[in-house]
Amino acid sequence: MRPFRLLAALCAALTVLTALPARADLNVVTTVPDLAALTKAVGGDHVQVQSLALSSQDPHFVDAKPNLALALNRADLLISIGLDLEIGWLPNLQLGARNSRILVGNTGFLNASQFPRILEIPPGKVDRSAGDVHPGGNPHYLYDPRQALAVARGITERLAQLDSKNAAAYRANLAKFTEELEKARVGWEQRLTGLKGAPIIAHHRTMAYLADWLGFEPIAFLEPKPGIPPNPSHIASVLVQGRQRKARMVLIESYYQDTPAKLVASKIPAPVVTLHGGTDFRAGETYIQHVGEMVDRLEKALTGKGG
Amino acid sequence: MSTVSWRPNGAFIVVSIVTLLSAASAAAQESTPPDAGQPGADAGTAAEATESPPAELSPEEMAEIEKALGGDGTGQQNAPAGTASAPQSSPGGSALSLPGMNTGGTSFLDLSLVLDVAAAAFTAKEPLQTGGHDPTRNGFNLQQLELSIGSVVDPYFRFDANIVFAQFGVEIEEAYGTTLALPANLQVRAGQFLTRFGRLNGTHPHAWDFVDQPFAVGRVFGGEGNRGLGTELSWLTPLPWYVELIGSITDATGEGTARSFLGASAERVLSPLDLQLTGAVKQFFSLSDDLSLLWGLSGATGPNPTGYRNRTDVYGTDVYLRYRPITEASTTLVTLQAEGFYRRRQVPDDVLTDFSAYAQVAWRFSQRWATALRYELGTPASGDSAEVVDPLDPEWTEDRHRVSAAVTFWPTEFSRLRLQGAMDNAGWRESPDYSVFLALELVTGAHGAHAF
Repeated sequence: MRPFRLLAALCAALTVLTALPARADLNVVTTVPDLAALTKAVGGDHVQVQSLALSSQDPHFVDAKPNLALALNRADLLISIGLDLEIGWLPNLQLGARNSRILVGNTGFLNASQFPRILEIPPGKVDRSAGDVHPGGNPHYLYDPRQALAVARGITERLAQLDSKNAAAYRANLAKFTEELEKARVGWEQRLTGLKGAPIIAHHRTMAYLADWLGFEPIAFLEPKPGIPPNPSHIASVLVQGRQRKARMVLIESYYQDTPAKLVASKIPAPVVTLHGGTDFRAGETYIQHVGEMVDRLEKALTGKGG
Repeated sequence: MSTVSWRPNGAFIVVSIVTLLSAASAAAQESTPPDAGQPGADAGTAAEATESPPAELSPEEMAEIEKALGGDGTGQQNAPAGTASAPQSSPGGSALSLPGMNTGGTSFLDLSLVLDVAAAAFTAKEPLQTGGHDPTRNGFNLQQLELSIGSVVDPYFRFDANIVFAQFGVEIEEAYGTTLALPANLQVRAGQFLTRFGRLNGTHPHAWDFVDQPFAVGRVFGGEGNRGLGTELSWLTPLPWYVELIGSITDATGEGTARSFLGASAERVLSPLDLQLTGAVKQFFSLSDDLSLLWGLSGATGPNPTGYRNRTDVYGTDVYLRYRPITEASTTLVTLQAEGFYRRRQVPDDVLTDFSAYAQVAWRFSQRWATALRYELGTPASGDSAEVVDPLDPEWTEDRHRVSAAVTFWPTEFSRLRLQGAMDNAGWRESPDYSVFLALELVTGAHGAHAF
């Protein structure tokens, strides 16, 4: 009798566990938390969203942990940043997930980089002597809320396609999100007008879109080349440039070690602004809150410097 | 646990693989008409075309047919569904890109080259290196030049090959297809591949924390690691944590790839029992965001050439603990990896057993630097009779211990310099052997994704 009872218990457990994800109409997995936040904003209660990377994690280097493959196994839709940002880890997860829906080319896979206006597309042939460059262009487009809106639109259309009975709800959510984001954006831009034309130093080439949006000028990067860690002679030259051009701040993502940034900033002198690499989606933060927080930090550095 | 249960199911696995493959090919034929009917048409018109021409079947009729044909394999409807809906529309217009693994680019073939060279110094005249790509002599060693080719073939298959160029020839290390759209969380690999016995066996030198291979792998399976021509079926269970079951049938021959089985002998395959059967269970536990544990149990059985129906069984377990803080800014990575191999061989009038194991810890303490330490143990073969001579390693009469330490420097993730020293204490030799390697690795070409 005993094995029977065990089996029954196991079956019951399985039923409960496999039944859980059925609450939402669509199970969406995104590579980075910003995409998760955008998806949640337009998907609302109809989607269950999970991000493979954490906001505290460098999205270039995510471990292809088997539990992430498990998340993909159960996904209806996988949304990626594209432009080779996830090339080091996503393909293995996709293959290991045994879910043909989320493979490239199928409707369950969405490469979000088709929606924004891509910057820094390298002209001509690229090789890795320039560091770990992205041949398709700079993938850090979600720093710019205008590009994020384009992505949100693209996600909405895909959700509507996959789950047509809730299409109206997705479009309504998008309208609401667009209104909120546009309203917030006007406020953010007003608060940061002082950044226009300001010379700024950054750690990695993540700032192209932020600079494009806010109008500041990235004059130097702490990394000598993308993906190459800072070295003393390069840091020295960055410091010279920073002093000559009177850099207003040093920008760094929270997932980089800030020793070089602090060193350079203290010697210019200029404030260090640490930006969260992404929305803290797991803690319930929204994309608008994330950008708002980023704007707060930039404003603080801007006014603190002036005062 | 289930290392035992797969054994009687060898034939069943073959049958299921054949069934699944035919199901996949049926699905492939099924989806061709819409594509073939509209050559040159773009995605949008193709979608309309499937609805408008009255000569074609209506979706209801199609569903009816699918239901009738797929009645005995309920999962089958999963497989074509994704591809059938693919041509409908894809906002933004990447609809024409091949279904595949790449997240960008238009190339059909991913090519990459890995070069491993090492300068080596040994105190021993005849070093006891067992790995096929290990440095083996004083001076400079070309460990390997590996050409990796990967591509998606069609919506149903992916192709991967690793071709190794050594100084004296070219070797097809791996060349296999992997299914992309099997139902029920199943996946089949077919061709020549490294079996997924344990943790290290299925990997290539590029993924190792040391210049050379643990001697356990070379001793039990051969210098190239255990591999063969064959088929592998794996299943990702629907349990709430990651549990993968793997079973494979491979050729049991090859001095460098199946030495405990048929090895270099040219035995004829008379029944499925003359092939090597391998089974494994892999379980993954995410202990926290920063800490992960992978635990595997493996078993392999196959014929050996020492006599009529003599067999070799190998049992193994592997543990991989990985600490990498991702909840804070950190480049720290600490990994602990251990594998044990218990081998049992039927030889004339005796059964030989032995145990080999290694345990290693690697610590990446900055973005560019890491250090690693490895301990290895190999016991001599023991049997019922007092004096046992191992037919494979006749000199191996006492315990062997080896300790290796390595320091690695990565200029970028595409190049690597490694300094390694080892003390090899083989009980049957008068004194310990020492070795030093300085190895360079260069990776060029497409960026291969890293397995966990």
